Amino acid sequence: MSFKACSLQDLTPGEGLRIDSVSPPIAIFLTEEGTVHAIDDTCTHQDASLAAGWVEDCRVECPLHESTFSLRTGAVDQPPAKKGVRVHTVELDGDDVLVELSQDAPNLPPGVKI
Amino acid sequence: MPTAALPAEGHLLIVGAGLAGYHTARGVRANGHTGPITIFGEETRPAYDRPALSKAYLTGAVAEEDLLLDDPEDPLDVTWVSGVGVVSLSGNPEGTETLGVHTADGRFHPGDAVVITTGASALSLPVASSEQGISARPYVLRNMEDALALRETSLQGLAVAVVGGGFLALEAAATCTERGAGSVTVAAGEQLPGARRLGTAVGEAILSAHQAHGVQFAPPARAQAVRSCTRGHEVILAAGETITADVVICAIGAKPRTEWLLDSAVQLTSGHGAVMCDDTGATCIPGVYAAGDCAQWASHSSGLRPVGHWQEAVEEAAVVAAALTGADPVPLQEPYFWSDQFDLRIQGAGRIHLADEVTVVDGTPQEGNLLVHYARGGQNLGILGINRLRDVTRWRKQRRIRPAQLHSPAAEHPMTVGSHPTAAETAPTAA
Ligand SMILES: Cc1cc2nc3c(=O)[nH]c(=O)nc-3n(C[C@H](O)[C@H](O)[C@H](O)COP(=O)(O)OP(=O)(O)OC[C@H]3O[C@@H](n4cnc5c(N)ncnc54)[C@H](O)[C@@H]3O)c2cc1C
Ligand code: FES
Repeated sequence: MSFKACSLQDLTPGEGLRIDSVSPPIAIFLTEEGTVHAIDDTCTHQDASLAAGWVEDCRVECPLHESTFSLRTGAVDQPPAKKGVRVHTVELDGDDVLVELSQDAPNLPPGVKI
Repeated sequence: MPTAALPAEGHLLIVGAGLAGYHTARGVRANGHTGPITIFGEETRPAYDRPALSKAYLTGAVAEEDLLLDDPEDPLDVTWVSGVGVVSLSGNPEGTETLGVHTADGRFHPGDAVVITTGASALSLPVASSEQGISARPYVLRNMEDALALRETSLQGLAVAVVGGGFLALEAAATCTERGAGSVTVAAGEQLPGARRLGTAVGEAILSAHQAHGVQFAPPARAQAVRSCTRGHEVILAAGETITADVVICAIGAKPRTEWLLDSAVQLTSGHGAVMCDDTGATCIPGVYAAGDCAQWASHSSGLRPVGHWQEAVEEAAVVAAALTGADPVPLQEPYFWSDQFDLRIQGAGRIHLADEVTVVDGTPQEGNLLVHYARGGQNLGILGINRLRDVTRWRKQRRIRPAQLHSPAAEHPMTVGSHPTAAETAPTAA
C-alpha cells in the first residue's frame, strides 16, 4: 500500500527531504536529472540523516563520513558503512509523490532502535 | 600512469592494524595488487575504528563487533599478524639494506614495501603519588582496552574530572554525564572550551550545551599533575587549585607511535617525533611510506593540513595505495572533522587554523544550530556547523577537487563531471 510522502513542489533538485511520519524515517530525493527516489533516511553506519547528504550521479554521500549509497539499489560503495539501505518504490501521481515502503528489514546502525 | 613503487606480485608489509593500515590494504587491493599483504598489529583484537571509543562504545550503546573495520561478509585478502608488536625497521635510503621489519618475537619479515601506520598513543599527566602503594593511572582513551576499562567502571554518583579541552575530553565529559556520574568537571585550560581554536561563538555553544547538562568547568589554568591517595584523586592546576575526583580521565593529546623507529633510517620530526613524508606518504627510504596519526606529510608542516583526524588517515591511506600501485594520485579534500557531544553534532572543514576572522553566519550559540565561517584576508577558508549537516556537506563538496577515477563507483554509474548544483541553484528545504 502506498502513501503520499510529499509533493514534487516540496523537493529541490539535488537534495533530499526527510519524511519522519514513518518509522524508521525515509528520504525522498529529486536528482538534477529529474528522477525521484526514496530510500531509508538513516545511514547504516551511524545515526545520520542521508537527506542532508550530497547527491551526485544518482548516489547520496552520507553527510558524516565517506560512504555513498545508490539511490536506485541502496547499495553502499565504501566503508565505513558496510550495509546498504532499503529502497522504496516511488510513483508520481501528478505532483504527488507516492511511496510504497519496502517489506525488507531495515539495516539500522548499531545502537539505533526504531 | 605513475610508476608503481610496489610490483603487483610484491609483498606489502603494513605496520599498525588501525584505520590507516586497513585502508591502505583495501586501497592497494582495489587498485589490483595481487601479491601478499601482511598487516602487523600489536593488539590482539581485530582492527577496529576508534571514534566511538569516546562516544557510543563508552556508553555501551555499541559493541566491539560494531566497530570492526574489516567486513566479515567481504573480508580483505590479507594476512593479519596480531598480538605482536613490530620493534624495528630494516632498510636504508641507499637501498643496500634488506627491506623488512622485526617483530617482538624475534622474527624478521622481509618485504618489497613497508607502510607505517602505527598511529599515536595518549599522553597523560605526571602522577604525583602521595600515599605508598596507591597506583593512580588516570584513564586515557586511545585503544579499545582503555575505553573498556572506563566502560566497566561504574560511574554512578561518582565525581569525574576530565583533563583536556579538545573534542576527546568534551566527548568523554558528555558520555560520563550520560552514564550517571554524580558530577563531571572539565579542566579545559580555557574559559570557553574550544574558543582558542574555533572562535568565541563555538566556545560559547559548547559551554552552554555542557552546562545545561550539569557539566562544570574548572578555572582556566593548566593541569599539571594528578595526586592520588586512598580517598581518591586530585588534579593539580597551575594556579594552585585542585579538583578532587573519584575518577580522572586524561585527554590531553596524543604522540605519534614511532619509538620503534628511533634507530631506523627514517627521519622523524624534532617536535613530535612523527615520520617525515612527502605528500605521497614516501619517507626517505625507497619503498617505505607512512600515513595517519604517526605521519607528518610535507603539507602539514606548511600549515596546510591538521594532524590527527579520521578523514585524514583514510585519505592518506588512499594516496599511499595509489603511489604503491602506480594508480593516478588521489587528490586531497579539505580537512574535515566531526564530534558528537550531548545533542550537538559538530562538524568542521577547511583550514580553520589559518583563519583570522570568524563570522557567525546563522544560528546562535545557545540554540544548538550555529553556523560559522572562517576567513583570512577576506578569503573564506573554512566552515563549522553545529547540527548543520546539510550546510557543512555542501561547503565541503563544492570545494573538493574531484576524486580520481580510483574512487568513483564507475562500474555502476559512470562519472559525469560538473553536474552538481552550485549554492545559487539550491534552496534549503525542510530537513
Ligand atoms: C577515542 C577517540 C575518538 C576519536 N574521535 C574522532 C572523531 O570523532 N572524529 C575524528 O575525525 N577523529 C576522531 N578520532 C581520531 C581518529 O580515530 C584517528 O585519527 C585515527 O584512528 C588514526 O588512524 P591511524 O591508523 O593513524 O591510527 P590508529 O587507528 O591508532 O591505528 C594504529 C594501530 O597501530 C598499532 N600499533 C602501534 N604501534 C605498533 C607497533 N610497533 N607494532 C604493531 N602495531 C602497532 C596500534 O595498536 C593501533 O591499533 C578519535 C580518536 C580516538 C582515540
Ligand atoms: S554515519 Fe554515514 S558513513 Fe558514518
